[in-house]
Amino acid sequence: MSTTDSTSTAAPEASTETLVHFENIKKQFGRLVALQDIELSIKEGEILALVGDNGAGKSTLMNVLCGVHQPTTGTLHYEGEPVSFSNPSDARERGIETVYQDLALMNDLDIASNIFIDQFPTRFDAGPLRLIDWNETYAEAEEILDYLNLDLDPHSEVSFLSGGERQLVAVARALSFDPQLLILDEPTSALSVAGTELVQDTMRQLREEGHTQVVVSHNFEEVLDLADRIAVLYQGEIADVVSPEAVDKRTLTNLITTGHR
Amino acid sequence: MSVIDSFRADRGGDDIVLALLDNMIWPILAITIIGTLVLVPQTFNNVRSVELLLHSSVGLGFLVLAESVCLISGHFDLSIGSIAGFSAMFTALALSPSNWALFSSPALGVLTILAVAMLIGAANGIMISKLGINPFLQTLAFLIIFEGAKIALSSLPVSDLPEGYTTIGSTPEIAVGALLATFLIVAFVMKNTPFGQAIYALGSEEESARAVGINTDRMIIAVYCLSGLFSGAAGLMLTGYTTTVSPETASGMVFPAFAASVIGGISLFGGRGKVSGALGGVLLLGLVQSALNLSGIGVAQIQAVNGIILLIAIVLYNTRSNIRSRILTAEASQ
Repeated sequence: MSTTDSTSTAAPEASTETLVHFENIKKQFGRLVALQDIELSIKEGEILALVGDNGAGKSTLMNVLCGVHQPTTGTLHYEGEPVSFSNPSDARERGIETVYQDLALMNDLDIASNIFIDQFPTRFDAGPLRLIDWNETYAEAEEILDYLNLDLDPHSEVSFLSGGERQLVAVARALSFDPQLLILDEPTSALSVAGTELVQDTMRQLREEGHTQVVVSHNFEEVLDLADRIAVLYQGEIADVVSPEAVDKRTLTNLITTGHR
Repeated sequence: MSVIDSFRADRGGDDIVLALLDNMIWPILAITIIGTLVLVPQTFNNVRSVELLLHSSVGLGFLVLAESVCLISGHFDLSIGSIAGFSAMFTALALSPSNWALFSSPALGVLTILAVAMLIGAANGIMISKLGINPFLQTLAFLIIFEGAKIALSSLPVSDLPEGYTTIGSTPEIAVGALLATFLIVAFVMKNTPFGQAIYALGSEEESARAVGINTDRMIIAVYCLSGLFSGAAGLMLTGYTTTVSPETASGMVFPAFAASVIGGISLFGGRGKVSGALGGVLLLGLVQSALNLSGIGVAQIQAVNGIILLIAIVLYNTRSNIRSRILTAEASQ
């Protein structure tokens, strides 16, 4: 297994500024070593795909980045500083938002409430007594939906939406925090072809507008088509970090299943 | 017209059906009023009989409020009746000169009954959120414990209570006004505050609510505290209504409270329903009770009618859920 310094495989479009650096990260659950010797950088403005077989450590690495798990050893650097996120709120404060695979949407609530559930615009704010400014909430929700080219009424219940629309509402919620880094966990795994296209178009748009994205995906087509770089995990280690132009499906399969090209 | 526009236009009809399903308490209440006017017209004989109808519903109304907030949060509370009864008995004994005589201030009495009930509610919330105990089992245990504790405290009625303490519940204008004001405030809070919306989020998908940053444990404790607080208010109103606390106070009231909440459009699985609808449920049950009382039906039969109303509420709820999921399935397949 080879561990490649990610900075050597920069995509031409991506900025050379490193936003995140995993320095020798190890994560252990009891006797199980889920991650070890992780050296990986994420550059500003790029889409980095995390791929690997089940149990390879993709989700654990994602969870270390978004504050769900804390590394056993090693250091996480964000914007050049060592950081320690003890929960997702800490990561959010630094500008890291995650769209989980299950989307974490509330089906009985409307789109605007789902987007702003934890940060409603208020018209009166006196400590614990805060009143929601619904006009502002719907106006801002409309703005975010327009930004994502989504023709949806923010008053619609989420349970009405298609899979692709639901995914993008989850992205809209993440964007409402104005994140620097967006983590997307299997964003298209449960979507139709049309839904997948909708989500992928949005990811391209977000990249054009400078958002850094980390995508955890099983979908080779998506990874090769969208990502600026692909980090392959094998048995808890970085097997390789490659450019999509430099690999084909067979190579990627070999890396995922054996840790070698 | 784009595909999405035509999709939205088609959906207009479904939106109306769904809105009707969510607010069906009001047509049901209207039909019941008309039916009562025809079959038991003396229910609305004069202003006094309407006042009596509303006054007799106040205790139940606070219990419905307690249950509704719990149900919206995706939880439920079987212990509301026993919390109301126990806190009423505890405070009555503390106030009664011929019993514990701990204090005589009506204001302190009000604070005590609300605080005792809220503390029991907080214990429910802590056990459920922090120890992961199933809400059904937890609140069933508290139902049995506090029902027994109420009788253990006194097997005899306590009636020598300070007038200032019972006035709140015995004066129709104050009792009904307090109930309506509380419903209005809770409805406003549920709709217009982040706290209220977090209760809906908790009831809709607890895991999702946690994932988006809501402190679900704290919310669950807060919800059970509110449930306890409103149960205490119910105990206070029931005490005032009869100016006595007996071992029977608030016994068996949890099921009518469930029925009123569910008929009022509150979802049994959380996340849906309006507190205003639950108020409609209270009025419906109060009306039916008054009509039955005035029509000379015996207490045992009234109990059976209560059971039938609960059954109707559940059937209505199921029908509503089925129609709703049919509409949503049709939407998803478009």
